[in-house]
Amino acid sequence: MTEWFADLKADFIKNFITDNRWHYLTDGLKVTLIVTLLSTLVGIAIGVVIAMIRSTHDKNIDRMRKGAPYYLLKLGNALCKVYLTVIRGTPVVIQLMIIFYVILASSNNKILTAVLAFGINSGAYVAEIIRSGIMSIDQGQFEAGRSLGFNYVQTMRYIIIPQAFKTVLPTLANEFIVLLKETSVSGYVALQDLTKGGDIIRGRTFSAFMPLIAVALIYLVLVMFFTYLVGKLERRLRNSDH
Amino acid sequence: MTTNEILINAEGVEKDFGVVKALDGIDLSIKKGEVVVIIGPSGSGKSTFLRCLNLLELPTGGKILFEGHDLTDPNVDINKHRQKMGMVFQHFNLFPHMTILKNMTIAPMKLKGMSKEDAEALAMGLLKTVGLEDRANAYPSQLSGGQKQRVAIVRALCMQPNVMLFDEPTSALDPEMVGEVLEVMKSLAKEGMTMVVVTHEMGFAKEVASRVIFMADGKIVEEGAPEEIFSDPKNERTKQFLNSIL
Repeated sequence: MTEWFADLKADFIKNFITDNRWHYLTDGLKVTLIVTLLSTLVGIAIGVVIAMIRSTHDKNIDRMRKGAPYYLLKLGNALCKVYLTVIRGTPVVIQLMIIFYVILASSNNKILTAVLAFGINSGAYVAEIIRSGIMSIDQGQFEAGRSLGFNYVQTMRYIIIPQAFKTVLPTLANEFIVLLKETSVSGYVALQDLTKGGDIIRGRTFSAFMPLIAVALIYLVLVMFFTYLVGKLERRLRNSDH
Repeated sequence: MTTNEILINAEGVEKDFGVVKALDGIDLSIKKGEVVVIIGPSGSGKSTFLRCLNLLELPTGGKILFEGHDLTDPNVDINKHRQKMGMVFQHFNLFPHMTILKNMTIAPMKLKGMSKEDAEALAMGLLKTVGLEDRANAYPSQLSGGQKQRVAIVRALCMQPNVMLFDEPTSALDPEMVGEVLEVMKSLAKEGMTMVVVTHEMGFAKEVASRVIFMADGKIVEEGAPEEIFSDPKNERTKQFLNSIL
């Protein structure tokens, strides 16, 4: 037993202490968090816009006058659908590599690449989540907003989106957690995220157990922490529905 | 209170839903200060007509002139005009994620650039008139139906509209709460507000209306002063309808 502990201790020192190897994990964690947070913002921005175009189309297209806005909305909706199909129909690793090696080939900014790739990818899923939230809000809320004199965008911004956001918050939080774990493929474009950091240690020390378990534990703790935060936020939002 | 100045003029308004023609050529002019009550059986198009007045429903034919502007003109800024047309709905449609005060102040603040202090002072003053100033910081879900509808009325008044449209404001209320909402509407009428009211409350119509419109099958069948319509209806359809509900 003591021997096992001694081995474990030696393994730990070799993997994390020697040459300050723990830096690979902390630096990687920093990259993972930055990429996740920024791509969440990109994803939500894209998602809200797409969700607005799609739900505006679905709600109103049948009773619009056939003018420029009508055709613009039709075109916008078609483009959104293409985006959703392509993004949801291909693996995120491929999208990441296409952005890195094809679209941004002249730049070597790996963080930017990852933020764009994961943001654009997440946007597709967020769009559908928010659209379902928008469609679940009673039509009377739209009408009340419009009758006060708010234009369509203002009605969305002040009245519909805040309510829709509240409804879909748990699903959205889940998407964030999925995204956090999805960024673990960043290593494909040689971005040193948490996973890649652990992998580098494994390459140096030729021992797999310690670095991989450590990486797994860090992801787990992060996910548990964010789940806790979202639970708190949900409870606060619920204050208005007594 | 009625003047000769025409506020709203509906000319040959039609609404064709494809399967049914909900409105079949409605002509109606509403003068400033008038309280026009629209009655009729369900499916007669009265709510549709009311919703056409502020273009929540887009008419498929005819014109709506509000203060001289044709609202059905695609180039007209409908949002500007809607700011002057308050609307109260059957299901209140308060914003559930905002306090009562926020419900009332958001439109004047965002649309008229009113300061927070001014908007809140205005809102509190209006809340006082309906006896709800102590609920300013409550959320809509904490209010009874009658309270919600009173808030909905003063929310619309916060934009200082020139006309108020009421779409069956008491139909979703428990019977004991109808009175409190009608009281607010009556005092509004007394203050000289121009009102168009779709309702089943015949007592309200008799007491407050300057004119009663009876609609059936998307047409105006009969119109006149409340005494005429209720005690001496000329049209067979009107008689039938009044017999069935009174």
